Amino acid sequence: MRRPQKSCPFCEGRVRWVDYKDDRTLGRFITDQGKILPSRLSGTCARHQRQLSTAIKRARYLAIIPYLKGHTA
Amino acid sequence: MYIFDSTLEDSAINDKLTRFHDLLGSPETPESDHWGRRQLAYQIGPRENGYYVVSRFAADPAVLPEYERALRLDDSVMRYLITLHEHEVGAPAMSDEELAAQAARRDDDDDDED
Repeated sequence: MRRPQKSCPFCEGRVRWVDYKDDRTLGRFITDQGKILPSRLSGTCARHQRQLSTAIKRARYLAIIPYLKGHTA
Repeated sequence: MYIFDSTLEDSAINDKLTRFHDLLGSPETPESDHWGRRQLAYQIGPRENGYYVVSRFAADPAVLPEYERALRLDDSVMRYLITLHEHEVGAPAMSDEELAAQAARRDDDDDDED
């Protein structure tokens, strides 16, 4: 069974590069815990999913988005 | 992108930026976008806030190790990240042809699976 094709939100917006500084956009592609949403759920194409994962990891390092949500040290 | 200690005065941050950018030895002054003080998504050591600055510069790769060493030695720089600008926004949006080419490639891939 092949899953139905979802359209990639980045291709629709004609985004060439996913920006690690754009926390609002990145926020749409992480779960409540802060994990990266799989492309099978978000519909992101492989090219943009690769960019997205790099962007999310950069944003985490720069404390723009959390590594883990709802965690207090 | 730099994250400075938010307790620093704005003038001190500007001084440090000038000093770092001098190390790069580029003829043009780098353009800097100051985001200012904002809350960190998680604590870094005891700090909950940071002063964010995004700078765009062109430099010879040979000068980068010395530049990074200065950044690492400076206690007021909490984090920094150097990235290639061509892999960022500001690049032109994808043209119709590129979108069509991508769609065609995807269709080809689908055909292979069948």
